[in-house]
Amino acid sequence: MTTTARPETRTAPLCGQPVRRVEAPRFLAGKGQYIADIHLPSTKHAAILRSPVAHAVIRSIDTSAASAAPGVIAAYTGADLARISRPFSHLLPIPTIKPLEWYVLATGKVRYIGEPLAVVVADNRYLAEDALELISVDYEELAAVTDAEQALAESAPLLYGEWGNNEFLRLEYSTGDPDAAMAAADTVLSARIGQHRVIGLPLEGHGAVGRFDHASGRLTLYASSQQPHNLRTVISDITGLSEAAIQVTAPDMGGGFGNKQHFMREEALVAVLAMQLPYPVSWLQDRVESFTASVHSRQQVHDVSVAVRRDGKVLGLKVEITADVGNPVLYFTGASPAMVTTSLVTGTYDIPSYGFVLHCAATNKCPMGAYRGFGQPQAYVTIERVMDRVAAELGLDPADVRRINMIPDEPRPFTSVTGAQYDVGSFRDQFEELLAFIDYPRLLAERDDARRHGRCLGIGLASIVETTAPNLHSVAGRFGGFEMSQLTVQPDGHVTVDVGTKSQGQGHETVLAQVAADVLTLPLEWIQVRDGDTSGLPYGMGTWGSRSAVMGGGAVLRAAEQVRDKMVRVAASMLETSEDAVALERGMFRAGEHELPLPAVASAAYLHTFLLPPGESPGLVATEAYDPGNTSPFPDENGHMNVGATYATAAGAAVVEVDPLTGNTLIRDFAVVHDCGRIINPAIVDGQIQGAFAQAVGTVFLEEIVYDPSGQLLTASLMDYLVPAFGSVPHVRIRHRETPSAMAGGFRGAGETGIILAPAALVNAVADALAPMGVTVMQTNLGARHIRELIRQAGAPRDPLAGARITVIGAP
Amino acid sequence: MRTSISVNARTAEVDVEPRRLLADVLHDELGLTSVHSACEQGACGSCTVLLDQEAVRSCLLFAVQADGHRVTTVEGLGSPPRLHPVQEALAAHHAVQCGYCTPGMVLSAIDLLRRNPMPTPAQIDEAMAGNICRCSGYVSIRDAVLDAARSGGGQGRPAQAARRSDPR
Repeated sequence: MTTTARPETRTAPLCGQPVRRVEAPRFLAGKGQYIADIHLPSTKHAAILRSPVAHAVIRSIDTSAASAAPGVIAAYTGADLARISRPFSHLLPIPTIKPLEWYVLATGKVRYIGEPLAVVVADNRYLAEDALELISVDYEELAAVTDAEQALAESAPLLYGEWGNNEFLRLEYSTGDPDAAMAAADTVLSARIGQHRVIGLPLEGHGAVGRFDHASGRLTLYASSQQPHNLRTVISDITGLSEAAIQVTAPDMGGGFGNKQHFMREEALVAVLAMQLPYPVSWLQDRVESFTASVHSRQQVHDVSVAVRRDGKVLGLKVEITADVGNPVLYFTGASPAMVTTSLVTGTYDIPSYGFVLHCAATNKCPMGAYRGFGQPQAYVTIERVMDRVAAELGLDPADVRRINMIPDEPRPFTSVTGAQYDVGSFRDQFEELLAFIDYPRLLAERDDARRHGRCLGIGLASIVETTAPNLHSVAGRFGGFEMSQLTVQPDGHVTVDVGTKSQGQGHETVLAQVAADVLTLPLEWIQVRDGDTSGLPYGMGTWGSRSAVMGGGAVLRAAEQVRDKMVRVAASMLETSEDAVALERGMFRAGEHELPLPAVASAAYLHTFLLPPGESPGLVATEAYDPGNTSPFPDENGHMNVGATYATAAGAAVVEVDPLTGNTLIRDFAVVHDCGRIINPAIVDGQIQGAFAQAVGTVFLEEIVYDPSGQLLTASLMDYLVPAFGSVPHVRIRHRETPSAMAGGFRGAGETGIILAPAALVNAVADALAPMGVTVMQTNLGARHIRELIRQAGAPRDPLAGARITVIGAP
Repeated sequence: MRTSISVNARTAEVDVEPRRLLADVLHDELGLTSVHSACEQGACGSCTVLLDQEAVRSCLLFAVQADGHRVTTVEGLGSPPRLHPVQEALAAHHAVQCGYCTPGMVLSAIDLLRRNPMPTPAQIDEAMAGNICRCSGYVSIRDAVLDAARSGGGQGRPAQAARRSDPR
């Protein structure tokens, strides 16, 4: 018997250590392989003609000149491809949702600027774009509607005449008796809270490269997708190929943030084109396409009524949500995050009566869908703004209003009024820890002192619970709850871990290797994690919803345990002892004084199978599907569902100072107390919090998708849509509580808390800063011009520009 | 047009259309896949390369404008396990998430440290404000650049790279 190497010994477990990212060296050296780096021989390049108008009937399209242009292989219209492919549809099991099917390219009508309606394939992208200019389209322009409330009005232009209105989805449920709560309340507060449209905007756009083997009938599709296996299922739907004939590979991804959770028309388009042509076909989304025609997010208006007792206790909450879902031609749409909003809007508070109405309005804008946080930032801006308004109304401390309403520590799980089951953790202790962390009384004194000196300092508090590892069958259609992993100990003792999650920068090759390494007691370098390839694993659900540590980690843990147990049986046989007598430590199986290195056992399992105990099969492989099985993803008769396998929690505080003259906000401090259960890699978790916080800073102070009334997108570049840059994001101070869940490994999700928590705290802080000026803040877009507008509208006597005559130079 | 560019200390002779962007020629024709085109209008910094030691946006230059010049991409710096000190500092600070902005960040940091070997945090913010990262929230990158500065990392390294990979 020979062994190739002995694993280096290691004493401490790797989980819990901030080990360096395995991925970093290759990214730093420029060796990442992103979608644009997939270069197959003879690849042709697709460019897409997109609608320049927001709403029109396509009377005719003429591609003949484009087809004859230099370097052009082929040009197709939507009608051409509708004859050879199948339509997308939602497959959401919600009875009241409007039926909708759409093809890879628009047919008949276009309904937003940027909607794809023809494609050219050419030798390179330059030539393909040249040819696009030769396509002539005859549009019969229709009136456009770009505002959700106007879209729901009687006289609105209809996106889909057959619907009879633009209400894509309406849902209404209540629990307890919210009307009675309003009647019995000491005070009823009413407010409208607006959440503006933003975009997840991964720095690398979408893209796909497809190759069809006409001999075998097999399709290989590379796509920058968060859910490669699910994309395979969708591509099968569209192309009619069996899933067995399709391989989808997601290479390294330059971010995803939910934007790449969606199955794009263009990904299916590339598949269809590759099947038509004798060449591989590539399409790479450019930045204008990403802004006009990928996925927007968040735009919801919340009209709330709050029943309050005079001590600050909230007795009932009614929320009417109007979501602007754009043209809802996405596999799931903005309706889905809005549904998540409805299930989390009561937040970390024990509110006995709750009712909601949800209207999802179709408009002539880019489809709305996922962005990190998925409906939850909207929920918490609402409920946390409500808590502050209650405090202001009753003259109470905002911290005290939260205390009196906070969900008690017992029982666990706590079933919220929406049906969500919060599994572990103390909201109260977490909140008190936050107040101590920021020294709340001192901060209040500092703020009041600043106010006396005319400065606009504000403190914003927020407390959140995030659904993690969700099962979204009813919300996102088909793709939900479990995750798979296949773990192979190779004959030399090194380990391959195939996973169905897909890293977009979260360091899965590192953290999932940490999980496996601890079970197998091997060094990190001996573990290779591979993701994103449907040929490596029967199925997987991808990465979204803060699910990878919980579901992917759970699957890896279980698979590693299975293989370890088998190795223990083999080792016991080789050491001629019982399984109970064998222990695995530091890559060594030990029984009394005898020891056997793990590679020797691995070698036996493949190459010296005569050493295996009777009945033991050769090989060291386990394929595990992990499903905690504790979710109830379909609404019951009260609309109750519990989508989260486990929940993460956080409490945070923002301290800001607003300059009323310019409207600029300085974030002086942001502090978080965070509980995501057992932490695998604290440096990666902190990076997730800091990075998500940056996106929240962008949302509140910089980023805003703006359409004009005709449906023209005014923010279609990084010059017009500002994302945070160096200098706009302060360091987040973080404290961790590590309350383990009942999931495998005790993990809870960690990817989104930063962006779910921070908008609420930042908006509250700005509101607090401006309150002495008589300004009421009930919106999430608080860039300088918006703050100036709020101050001006309030007619604040302390407005430093009050009474000033402002002359705009160059104005007519 | 025949164009001769010294790329990572090797001369590349390419025949390019005048309209082709330097970013596209580096990525598509010379196989330097570290050059990422994310906005194609100079707003994001992902395609940053060094042109005669100075950080430039390769999406804002035509390839023919680089004729007779020296271009350095991260392929011309360190390769694992021997990384350039700036790369090493970024790895140590977990300042790399998806990695897409990373090559541009590395080169902008090297350019900054060449001009200013001991920048303050505010100077880093100003000098690197044109490099967008959507993942990290920037703090770890700034800390890494400060660290690289303290270890003398930026000094004179790009011209005499530790190890070179073949740009084809």
